[in-house]
Amino acid sequence: MKLAHRFRALGALALAALSFLAPPAFAQDGEKKEGDKKDEASKDKKDEKKDEWFAVTGGDVYTGTGAVLRGATVLSKNGVIEAVGHDVEVPADAKTLDATGQRVYPGLVAINSNGLFGMTAGDFADSVDPYNQRMLLALASGITTAGQSNTALKLKRRDIKNVVLRERFLATLSFTNSNPSGKREWIEKFDRAARFLREYRDWEEKKREQKDLKEPSSSGVDSTAKAILEGRVMARFNASNREDLLEIARLAQRFGFRPVIDGCVEGWTVADELGRAGAYAVVTPRDRRDKEEQLVRDGGSSIENAAILHHSGVQVCVIPSTTGVDLGGIAGRDILHLPIEAGFAVRGGLSDQAALESITIVPARLLGVSHKVGSLEKGKDCDLIVLDGDVMHYQSLVQYTVVEGKIAYDKSAELFYAHIRPRPSDQLAPEARQDKGESDEKPAEGAGETPGDKPEESPKPEDKPEDKPKDG
Amino acid sequence: MTILTTILTLAPAFGGVSEPSGGLLAIKVGRAETVSGAAIEHAVILVDDGKILEIGADLPVARGIPVFERPDWVVMPGLVSCYTRLGVDGRAGQEFSPEASPTPEVQPRHPDYKEVLEAGVTTIGLYPPGTGFPGHASALRPHGATLAEMLVDEDAYLKVYFRANAQAKKQVRDVRAKVDEHDEKVKKAKEKFDKESKAKPSDKKDEEKKDGEAKPEEKKADDKSKAFVPPEADPKTKPFLQVRDGELGMLVSIAQAADWAHWVDATSELKLDFSLRVVMTREIDLFEVKDEIGKRGVRVVMEPQISLVPGTMRQRNLAAELSASGAKIAFKPRNDTVADHAAMLRHVGEMIGAGLAREVALKGVTLEPAAVLKLEKRLGSLEKGKVANLLFLNGDPFEPSTQVMAVMLDGEFVSGEVKE
Repeated sequence: MKLAHRFRALGALALAALSFLAPPAFAQDGEKKEGDKKDEASKDKKDEKKDEWFAVTGGDVYTGTGAVLRGATVLSKNGVIEAVGHDVEVPADAKTLDATGQRVYPGLVAINSNGLFGMTAGDFADSVDPYNQRMLLALASGITTAGQSNTALKLKRRDIKNVVLRERFLATLSFTNSNPSGKREWIEKFDRAARFLREYRDWEEKKREQKDLKEPSSSGVDSTAKAILEGRVMARFNASNREDLLEIARLAQRFGFRPVIDGCVEGWTVADELGRAGAYAVVTPRDRRDKEEQLVRDGGSSIENAAILHHSGVQVCVIPSTTGVDLGGIAGRDILHLPIEAGFAVRGGLSDQAALESITIVPARLLGVSHKVGSLEKGKDCDLIVLDGDVMHYQSLVQYTVVEGKIAYDKSAELFYAHIRPRPSDQLAPEARQDKGESDEKPAEGAGETPGDKPEESPKPEDKPEDKPKDG
Repeated sequence: MTILTTILTLAPAFGGVSEPSGGLLAIKVGRAETVSGAAIEHAVILVDDGKILEIGADLPVARGIPVFERPDWVVMPGLVSCYTRLGVDGRAGQEFSPEASPTPEVQPRHPDYKEVLEAGVTTIGLYPPGTGFPGHASALRPHGATLAEMLVDEDAYLKVYFRANAQAKKQVRDVRAKVDEHDEKVKKAKEKFDKESKAKPSDKKDEEKKDGEAKPEEKKADDKSKAFVPPEADPKTKPFLQVRDGELGMLVSIAQAADWAHWVDATSELKLDFSLRVVMTREIDLFEVKDEIGKRGVRVVMEPQISLVPGTMRQRNLAAELSASGAKIAFKPRNDTVADHAAMLRHVGEMIGAGLAREVALKGVTLEPAAVLKLEKRLGSLEKGKVANLLFLNGDPFEPSTQVMAVMLDGEFVSGEVKE
């Protein structure tokens, strides 16, 4: 009997989880509601595709471009932002999400990730697993776009279509003093490619007068180097040594491209040079590295790294030290703590705005998708997160994650964080309320299962800081 | 008589074992689980020539017909295990071999067959091992001295092993290209044939043929002398044409929700009729797509096993959930062993205890697996005209204490204390 009850509760749970994306095949609260939905669906099919409107209202909107619009509305049409502002007219048939008293941010972008799209190495369009738990956990952390194998991917739950946003916009180069021959090779490749491009432009110019002039030969020109110099691909380096960083800055300035530098631990010591080279830095503020004691110069890691780089004009992107979902070892250093990692950059002096950019628009630029994601602007994908506080605060939890105008994660509907500072029942989705009714006095779904999960009546976070790891 | 025997030996699927019983037999039991309809109390089953002649409650039995009476027993259709490798080697390959069959490997008189038959399994579906398109499965009776005696249907279903990866999707695309290529070939041959037959003024059916993109078979009927014979398909393509034309079933093996999504994506606009083989794992996430699967009324071959919500210890009854969503459930033993074949009813009984409907459970061990083998018209339930594959029990099929008392295969008792 108890078992049967449990199954029923589970069924209802699954319903609550599914209900946002698709009308359930069997509604529990009467035929009428379901019938209405069905009618709507069939109508939609008849008069072709009806526009799908979605609005997040009343929240403090941090657009990611520097503006904060208090109590504003974000309106999405077919998954694309139609308007952001205060006097936005929301169509009557729009689905709405009330974010009053909450903060709305652009969906976070993780430049590197691992395992969020299933246990697959490539060919994401043919192998993405949109049901896996790591994707759901990442959405619960606010991530809506992630890079894997230098490919930009959208975290689309229960959907395998249009997951790949852009492939191979980044090209990883090995350019370090520990591999001198590799270094020399790249210099030669860039040299040859630059020469070819000059010849080509010259030919294009001269061709106007001399129609039969021969096109310069592109044989022996490295396609990656050429693409980098043409700006079609970004060169990505992995370097943390001062010497390596300087070499990269020089290379980039000599050939005229903007390098992306992973690691960049000693970047703060050569920030001016990197800034002049227009570099992007992908940093992990909590990376620790000792100074080489025999050298007089500055070295080693600094918590100020991100801030100093930023002040020198380097665009900073933040990524945690582990790019997969890792629940072992030291908690709080995996991909689920992307905003916490950015919070450490703030601790080192980076401004809130630059820190927000370091996990939104900057990684979007590096993945070549900043025209679609990374900030809340008209024309971009409606990927946003609703939080109960500052996105980089350790206490804030993502309440909703919206991907392309659809709720992909609702804290109260999933198992992970629903029991931590539970939402008051009148703010729960109707499905979740119904769930609660079925299991009577249990506050959140299945809270009776684990004794330690009992929520307090009125949580006093300032008295009792959350010392448990978020993924605990 | 001799002639009859010869015929029966040639076509063993339709008749008796080694010698036809020749006469009627009336079986009287306390209860018959018909599977197709409601259970019958005080059931009488008339068996003749290996088939059920009549079934009903308290049917009058004419004098002279031998009566087998067991008022305490329950009878149900013999169990069908539609997805097994019993008695054959388990090694799998990676070749693309849709034309392959497991029957050459079968060793008649393998002890496993005798043991599962005694446990009540009267029909088995042997599948070809391997990934991709390893071949087609065959339906057999676990009884007989030769392969011919065992064989019920050589071509039961095409096995497809599909996982969400680029290689598997490419393979599906390649197959589709091959089928299209063949269709193109047939179309060209048809055009050529039409042209030639048009050239002869005697042909009356010119008009019809012009607008005829219809199937060549139809033409064959009205125009026997100059019938169009479509070019023979490549043996590696033929099974897919058979599947498309509904001659061959298809069983697609998947292990997670993503596999389903990618399979649907790869075959979306094809109107395919297929069953699913769902490999039950502890934390299977297939409940994510149960409504989609249910909406299409897909038949699912799965183990009677409780799974967990991923990352938790919360139990789920996937079979019950899928069934509630509209899918049909065909159970296979938890492990492909004799012991789990024997424990099949008990394991399914556990699923009933966890919320599965009893009718679904009953069908899940008889009629549904028979349907996977495309044998649902011939066996899998107690109905007039169906093969007399009977399983006699001393109580409710799903009670743990119930024991198998006797087994009848094609009208013959093959195990149990049945001497009067």
